[in-house]
Amino acid sequence: MSEPEDFEQRLARLSGATNALRPSAGFSARVMLAIEHEAAPSFLETTWFSARRLLPVAAIATAMAVLWAVQVDGSVDDELAASYASMELE
Amino acid sequence: MDTLEKAVDRVLSGDRSAFQQIVDATSQKLVRLGARIMGNQADAEDVVQEAYVKAYRALTAGEFDRRASVNTWLYRIVVNGAIDAKRSRTRRAESSDEQVDPGWDGAARAEARLALSELDDWLQALPAEQRAALVLQSMEGLNNTEIAQVMGVSEGAVEQRLVRARATLRQKREQS
Repeated sequence: MSEPEDFEQRLARLSGATNALRPSAGFSARVMLAIEHEAAPSFLETTWFSARRLLPVAAIATAMAVLWAVQVDGSVDDELAASYASMELE
Repeated sequence: MDTLEKAVDRVLSGDRSAFQQIVDATSQKLVRLGARIMGNQADAEDVVQEAYVKAYRALTAGEFDRRASVNTWLYRIVVNGAIDAKRSRTRRAESSDEQVDPGWDGAARAEARLALSELDDWLQALPAEQRAALVLQSMEGLNNTEIAQVMGVSEGAVEQRLVRARATLRQKREQS
């Protein structure tokens, strides 16, 4: 009767037998696809970067719009005041 | 400077295709290491793929400090990933329609799978960290200093894991 395989012998045998393991076909291509996916910016990132670039332009446009609104508001007030004054004279 | 270090330099300078060289040079041993820890080739490939993505992300973010070699660094990412996956994942059934590398001899493949299954059953009783330490020492041929580097623990902790792993397996054998 043969001796039962000891601990280290069993490890060595299984190590030798699993040495032949290798990745399945196309594994490397799948990894590179995942890397490409990782490297490509997501929709949110793209939107955020585009939006960030437009931020100064949007800020200037908003400031100009407020300025214009204040000016228009002022001139309307002047015109109303003038029309009230002429009505009072009449 | 070896080929892997050169490939890392090329990735750092923006050449994404150089990462393919790193994958080609390391995937066989990383998948084998992952399979020995996970006990299953399909899960091992998932872990190794995730490890490569993490490595790429770290490289492009400038987080690889070169204190360890590229090989040791990749080993560390795979071992950590495999330990985490082993703790959280249930075993995935091996698919029968998996694409087989045509260059791989069918008999060798069948024998390797059988051995992997036997290894998995045998090491099932061990916690993931002990199993990884045992695989790194007895199957990958790393010494305790190298295992400590890969696992990010002290050599004393490695020694303790190995002693416990062996004790558990011996106890299991005596019980059966």
